[in-house]
Amino acid sequence: MRTGTLPSAAYDDVSYTRGGTVDRTDVGALVQSAADGDAAAWKAIVEGLGPLVWSVVRAHRLSEADAHEVSQTVWFRFAQHLGRLREPDKAGAWLARTARHECLKVIRNQRRLTLTDDPLLLDRVSEEGVPEQALLEQEEAAARNERVRRLWQEFEELGERCRQLLRVLIASPPPSYQEVSAALGIAVGSIGPLRQRCLRRLRARLESRGTA
Amino acid sequence: MDDALNGEGFDGEELHGEEVRGEPDGEPGGAFDGQPGDGPAGGEPDDGFTTALEEELRQAAAVLDPMPPELLQIAVDAYALHDLEARVAELTFDSLVDALPVRGVTDAPRMLTFTAGEVTVDVEVTSEGLLGQLLPPRPAGIEILSGPQPGTPVTVDEMGRFTTDRPPSGPFALRLRTGSDVITTEWLRA
Repeated sequence: MRTGTLPSAAYDDVSYTRGGTVDRTDVGALVQSAADGDAAAWKAIVEGLGPLVWSVVRAHRLSEADAHEVSQTVWFRFAQHLGRLREPDKAGAWLARTARHECLKVIRNQRRLTLTDDPLLLDRVSEEGVPEQALLEQEEAAARNERVRRLWQEFEELGERCRQLLRVLIASPPPSYQEVSAALGIAVGSIGPLRQRCLRRLRARLESRGTA
Repeated sequence: MDDALNGEGFDGEELHGEEVRGEPDGEPGGAFDGQPGDGPAGGEPDDGFTTALEEELRQAAAVLDPMPPELLQIAVDAYALHDLEARVAELTFDSLVDALPVRGVTDAPRMLTFTAGEVTVDVEVTSEGLLGQLLPPRPAGIEILSGPQPGTPVTVDEMGRFTTDRPPSGPFALRLRTGSDVITTEWLRA
């Protein structure tokens, strides 16, 4: 399966400080540069933290349209507050928290309008298109894709809390626990144990289906 | 909802995984886009499988549910919205969050209040459009922004009242100009 890809050398000698110290050190400096007019710094922030915002939104199971609009709102507001952030080095947590609040508003508004608060129904809308398409483009890796698909399916069927936590944790680049905390409103100290437990649960599901 | 992950169920389980850092064997590369420095795994005790499984899941997410490229572009373009000259009027009241729902009333307008120092903007969002009031009452130039593109001016009377003929779709902000003062309201999704 590894043929054609480089071995994962990148991971072998990484200092495993979850987020926080490695790529996130520069965030404060990037925010400062962007506030001073450096568009490239802004782009770097978007590329580094955009997937986190997207993960937070997806963790809340918003429909495709809501997910897009909430993400846009978060970035528009971040641009607006650029240069005014009290803790520029915690921009990731700011973005995650803002995304969470906007997601909760959407959910609250849906309930209020009694459109549909059936998450399954909402999700069906959001799942169309993208995944299958992405899979089809890689026919030669069918077996691997099958495993990825099964993994994703088991992940989707995890309990809501685990699914939500893991969806944020698996943003790429990986978020810091501080960001995860801001994204989900849970204490930093509880994330580690929860993560372990949820991944164990996922593995158990995979094993029981003979896919591990 | 706010505390969906807290409490029940998860607490009280102490884990003592060995201090083994597993290498992810979940085939990095391909659609996975992360950078070398972004190691998975945590500072807490961990065992190999959780790290590997999380990494595998991360790659699955990168393939099956990545941040849409058009959204990335919008976020990049949003840089144009940064404006250190304008003051930001913060959202200080949102009926969606701060008001108790009235039983049986499902289509109550959303009431928003933005505040920047002594200036207050009250906005009501209905299905017909926006209804606003600038306080203290005064004439102002107001436009509705929906993104980095130029905004749409709205008519404001001399008492600072304004209306629009349709509700904003998607994110919006108001840009107010009164005297030499420029104020933008916090971006919001109506």
